[in-house]
Amino acid sequence: MKRRLVTWLLVSLLPAAFLASLALGEVRLPLTDVAQALRGRGDPIAVTIVRDFRLPRSLVGAAVGAALAASGVVMQAFFRNALASPGLLGVSSGAALGAVSVLAFGIGHALWTVPLAAIAGAFAATAAVVVLARRGAATERLLLSGIALNALLDAGTAFVLSANAGRLELSGQILFWLMGGLESRTAEHVIIGIPSIVVACVLLLPLGRDLNLISLGEQSAQSLGVDVRRVRWRLVVLSTLLTALATSVAGVVGFVGLVVPHLLRLSLGPDHRRLLPASMMGGAVLTLACDVATRLLPGGLRLGVITALVGGPFFLWMLRTLA
Amino acid sequence: MSALTVRALTVPGRLNGVSFALRHGTLAAVVGPNGSGKSTLLQAAAGLLPAGGDVELDGRTLPRIAVIDRARRLAWVPQEASFQFAFSVREVVAQGRYMWADDGSGVDDALTAFDLRDLADRPVTRLSGGERQRVSLARAVATGARLQLWDEPVAQLDVRHALEVMALARRFANGGAALLVSLHDLRMTRSFDRVLLLQLGRLVADGRPEEVLTPAAILKVFGVRARPAVSLHLELPDDRRERA
Amino acid sequence: MKIPLRAWTILLCALAVARGAPAAAQRVVSHTVGTDELLLALADPGQIAALSHLGRDRAYSLNASEAAAYPTLKSNDAESVMRFRPDLVLVASYTEAPTLALLRRAGVRLIVVERFESLEDVYANIRAIGAALGHSDRAEKLIGSTKQRVAELARKLEGVKPVRVLAVSTYPFTAGSQTTFQDLCDHAGAINVAAEAGLVGHASTPDEKLLTWNPELLIASDNEGAGLEARLWQMPAYRHLSALRAGRLVLLPGPLMASVTHHRVAAFEALARKLHPERFP
Repeated sequence: MKRRLVTWLLVSLLPAAFLASLALGEVRLPLTDVAQALRGRGDPIAVTIVRDFRLPRSLVGAAVGAALAASGVVMQAFFRNALASPGLLGVSSGAALGAVSVLAFGIGHALWTVPLAAIAGAFAATAAVVVLARRGAATERLLLSGIALNALLDAGTAFVLSANAGRLELSGQILFWLMGGLESRTAEHVIIGIPSIVVACVLLLPLGRDLNLISLGEQSAQSLGVDVRRVRWRLVVLSTLLTALATSVAGVVGFVGLVVPHLLRLSLGPDHRRLLPASMMGGAVLTLACDVATRLLPGGLRLGVITALVGGPFFLWMLRTLA
Repeated sequence: MSALTVRALTVPGRLNGVSFALRHGTLAAVVGPNGSGKSTLLQAAAGLLPAGGDVELDGRTLPRIAVIDRARRLAWVPQEASFQFAFSVREVVAQGRYMWADDGSGVDDALTAFDLRDLADRPVTRLSGGERQRVSLARAVATGARLQLWDEPVAQLDVRHALEVMALARRFANGGAALLVSLHDLRMTRSFDRVLLLQLGRLVADGRPEEVLTPAAILKVFGVRARPAVSLHLELPDDRRERA
Repeated sequence: MKIPLRAWTILLCALAVARGAPAAAQRVVSHTVGTDELLLALADPGQIAALSHLGRDRAYSLNASEAAAYPTLKSNDAESVMRFRPDLVLVASYTEAPTLALLRRAGVRLIVVERFESLEDVYANIRAIGAALGHSDRAEKLIGSTKQRVAELARKLEGVKPVRVLAVSTYPFTAGSQTTFQDLCDHAGAINVAAEAGLVGHASTPDEKLLTWNPELLIASDNEGAGLEARLWQMPAYRHLSALRAGRLVLLPGPLMASVTHHRVAAFEALARKLHPERFP
């Protein structure tokens, strides 16, 4: 019973959050105006705001939330730990270093460069983790390599930041990127982020059953018929891809990948065949909600700050109940 | 054709050239001191560890058999079952089959066989060690595999449950399955058809329990003196024996 | 050859006339503090739709009180700008690329201020913005009066011995060449010792090399709050400078020192007076 309720809640919250994201902001638009604007009619400014500004922003927000939550589910099953998060293998740190370096070197003001550099950085980081943990890449080794790499990459990012701290406008841009945000998302961000995130999510959905078994431990999973080597490879690639894409179009957004899977696991149970699609929806809802909050709350709060403000206390509460 | 044939199975540092063949309908035990390679043997036979030598299931070598086929023919129960996520007992037991047939058949029988009916809806994270071990066993049995490899299946069970599991194993073997079970307690080998004695990774004896576990052998391998004595003999009461 | 040349000339003239000048902007939004200053100097009040986010903040804006009369942008993103329905937006080269792209795609005319370090850059910006506002005359007047002030100042300072100065702050950065500070030094009869030592742009302060630079006077912005001198004393980099010991520290208003527009001439004059008081009887 409870599960059905939660599922229906999610299914109805997603379109509601999306609409809220189209309607709310500095200029509050009634839903009828939003509907008109989407069709290109009505006040031209409203059309611009809804179609060119808020629509890409909402699409990117939903995709980013879904990607991070899905990646979180995979990480938690893979490492058999409910505290695992998408950034564990160094993916988001790599993305950060890539993006921040490009910003600092001012390599072209083309809209493609920062997101692509972030993706490149993310993949380089994951490749490094896998190389560092060769010999079958046992799980513990991957984890430790991820920790080491995170430290290294964060140091690199801090270095770029400090070396450029004198250029105030640039440090502002870098800091904002590091805090995550959906302001001024353009069609380029939509093109870079959405199709690939959708494809990766679709490829991930059938792996729910394998995830159930992998969460038992690799030997048990293999003895029950999971081709552990191939499945692990697929999981690492898909999860990395999702985190890389999300980070490249929205900066570093934390806690979505940790909070959403955990919360849904408590209400829907740990069966990954249910948990994966539910987390994707839940992640989208959470991100859209936090983004709307950034527009309505004063003080220029960034997305990553809000997710941390929500996620931090939640994380502490989680630790209490687990202990 | 043997259910399981092992030739010169070697895992560096842990197993050294072990060879034997196990026929269907046999209940066999693997015994030996700590570190003799019992767990390693079972893992290697199940294809879960890279090993030198050959392993054949029903005449076909392991590398030639797809992972999912292996899972249908062979079930492995680990020594320690730790569950991270709160699946219910029923869900875990059902996982035994669902890579190839998600029909839930055999689950109820397995739950009954291991006295888990009352616990069916409990999350596995809230079970005692012994209860978790029974869940692993039930899952292995639910797979329907005809070759069962159990690693210390009764180590954490109370006497009654331990005897029930042994009785169950006996019935399976009588029904045509092949079971290889590693045991700590030598006295439990009485009802077994065959005993494999390991020492420091080598197979030093293979035969009927009374042939293999002579006082001389026990002294040599375990460093313990054995002599017949009148002690408490435990067995299932008649009505339980029927049900189990 | 004559006929083709005449044909080209006629063609070009025709093209120029046909294209015509774009209409003067009527609703202008300024995205940065620097463009606020220019807008306020050149536009009619009715042409100003909104000023920048920091326009009313005294710490950054020279026109803070004037700016209070106009609406300001709530944040830096494109939506914030668009709600004022501008037909022209003044931005800087350091504005975020996605914001620029979105504004362009919304069909809004943009003037992007790329350079502002030297006076020539400033004049070019004034001309461009003046033209877009339909007030080229005001632009030329402003440029003219600014040039006059600059020439007047140069005349007063003729032959003066330049003073060796250094920009200091509690942040570990100083200004080298190719900065507005450099421009300030050039017009106030000062030598920027950091530029002399080869630093370009805003660079981190080299603690040890500093000791060999021998600035005679230190210049700081008054934005950093009271007690700046005391705090500078606590920094090893500056503690050993004879200039600080002798208390030779000049504070200039923050927004003036960092001005990217014609207002910097006031900074030139202020500093020149401090450095060469004998020239200003």
